[in-house]
Amino acid sequence: MVPFRFSNRTVAVAIALVAAGYLALALRMPEFTAVEVPVQPATLPRLLGAALLLLAAVLFFQRPAPAEQAQDASDAVEDSAEPSSPGTAEEGTEAGDGAPAGPQRLGRLSDPRLELLLFAGSVAGYITLLVPLGFLITTALYIGATTWYLGYRRHAVNAAVSVGVAALVYFGMSEGLNVVLPSGPFPF
Amino acid sequence: MDTLSQLGYGFGIALAPENLVFVFIGVLAGTIIGILPGLGPMSAIALMIPIAYGMDPTTAIIMLAGVYYGAIFGGSTSSILLNAPGVAGTVATSFDGYPMARKGQAGKALAIAAIASFIGGTVGVVLLMLIAPQLARLAVSFGPAEYFALMILGLTAVVSLAGNNLTKGLISAVAGVIIALVGIDSQTAVLRFTFDLPELYEGVEFLIVALGVFALAEVFTMLVRRSAGGAGGAVTSLRLSRRELGQMGPAAGRGSVLGFFTGVLPGAGATVASFLGYSAEKRLAKDQDTFGKGNIKGVAAPEAANNGAAVGSFVPLLTLGVPGSGTTAILLGALLVLGVQPGPMMLTERPEVFWGVVASMYVGNIVLLVLNLPLIPLFAKVLKTPKALLIPLVVVFCVVGVYGLSFSVFDLWLLLGFGVLGYLMRQNGFPAAPLILGLILGGLMEQSMRRALQISNGDWSIFLTKPISAALLALAVLSLAGPLIGMVRRHRSAASSKVTGGDNGGGGVEKQRR
Repeated sequence: MVPFRFSNRTVAVAIALVAAGYLALALRMPEFTAVEVPVQPATLPRLLGAALLLLAAVLFFQRPAPAEQAQDASDAVEDSAEPSSPGTAEEGTEAGDGAPAGPQRLGRLSDPRLELLLFAGSVAGYITLLVPLGFLITTALYIGATTWYLGYRRHAVNAAVSVGVAALVYFGMSEGLNVVLPSGPFPF
Repeated sequence: MDTLSQLGYGFGIALAPENLVFVFIGVLAGTIIGILPGLGPMSAIALMIPIAYGMDPTTAIIMLAGVYYGAIFGGSTSSILLNAPGVAGTVATSFDGYPMARKGQAGKALAIAAIASFIGGTVGVVLLMLIAPQLARLAVSFGPAEYFALMILGLTAVVSLAGNNLTKGLISAVAGVIIALVGIDSQTAVLRFTFDLPELYEGVEFLIVALGVFALAEVFTMLVRRSAGGAGGAVTSLRLSRRELGQMGPAAGRGSVLGFFTGVLPGAGATVASFLGYSAEKRLAKDQDTFGKGNIKGVAAPEAANNGAAVGSFVPLLTLGVPGSGTTAILLGALLVLGVQPGPMMLTERPEVFWGVVASMYVGNIVLLVLNLPLIPLFAKVLKTPKALLIPLVVVFCVVGVYGLSFSVFDLWLLLGFGVLGYLMRQNGFPAAPLILGLILGGLMEQSMRRALQISNGDWSIFLTKPISAALLALAVLSLAGPLIGMVRRHRSAASSKVTGGDNGGGGVEKQRR
């Protein structure tokens, strides 16, 4: 199975809820009366909300064609190819996503969904600390920690890359492009 | 003025040292990003836009164009060496490129790809130069109604080709337009969907969405795929015999022309072009049975076609100001940020941009060839970058790109949000290109819709009574009807097979699942 893939019906209901909320907001939007305008600011949003609701309904009643399942991942070609390759029941759990359980494997958790949440959390942490700690420290820490967590073992290379990239981007942006990233505790 | 003197003027701009440096940087960066599995031209351009801010617009678009065709070439490198196309546009290349690599002719295949890309790009530029001014002359007569219809056509064409589920494509497009309308309404100054957040008054910057939905979502996908990657692929001798050159020449020529015209059509980008190029060549060939087993022509034709199409897709962008594909939509977004409004008037108002870009494409194609042939072994090493290192780096570049643009942490949260959205869309079969196109065209669409209705005093029939607008809208309906008919037919055949062959059908489904 692919993490976070839902049935058409679930997706359709979620979209319909969003569309209904959007439409409600669009309908409550005040008319613009100061000058005569043929198209109100709410005109297009109302049309769009209705269209989205309609499309969600169509999606709800659509049967997934088997061919579609296969091609769903057409822009990520390998995506579908890999899980279906060698042993799906290799590890008995959902984590048996077909990834070879050798040393070359990203991450540490067995459930890819948790892994994804953790990764999103790490990005959130990066964003939160960016301004208080400054770009240099946060970025070096983030790259170093993530790379280590994902299973890269050459720690010296990792340290050099994380500090090097952080410094290169920081000074490249501030000197070359005059874009000042958060400096944190450093005076430069 | 005639085309040649204009082109000379363009070369004067393109050969300025500064622009030359940036063509070089663009092509190099594009190739490297394109090689990295999963990161295609759209991610490449989105990642490079922050660097383009503050540049002279001409230089910026010259660099971004370089990124575009560099990325397409880079994609073919991973197609050939790993059978893992980084970009949909190079899938067709892997049909014969990978078998060649397995036969120990990887170097040869890459050399063919480089030369064919060069031919495709060059033929494309010549055609672009000849066609674009004519088209611009025609487009000057376009009013708001025609533009509105044209943008609708652009959207529906991309939707109809972007995925195989029409409904999902349309939902993506509508969502894109919805995002575009967030912020202060330009005509009435009414706040729309800002939820009282001042950060949203200016609307959602397209770069945030582009980086989130493409680059960040790709990172999530890499993580789930779990393979730490860094697979190799040895590069062997690049040398081609004269006979092989003779064999690939005509194939590349045909592919180029076919690719260019496919690229000009809205919606049909490099992907469609490369498949068309491949299948046309196969049909023409006398040695059909060797296709798929490492036929030189099978590499040359799709490679020439996808580069020709990349150039061709600049025609609607530069002359009409309406992008025909996701990639050119991102380019349009970048141009608008830089203060250039592409369109029929650009040829007269900003000739330095138009002719500079055209001339830089000649230069860029040569750079691509000169750069790629000797550096191919080096590029193959890029493929070995471990994913564990690549993933945080892409995140950092996304964050820097967004923060450097707006200096707002709020936008970084938006970036993460769009990354998650992009990932969910991808997992559930929603194409991302229509979303981006809808986002970029949404504002323009509403503007031309309003202008058209202002002219007609609120009479909606203006879109149908103006002949060009009506024709474009009819084409838009047709472009959606095609896949719709296909879908119905598929449903019907699926239903009938279920009715007729009871257990047989079950076996079929089983097989398809596998």
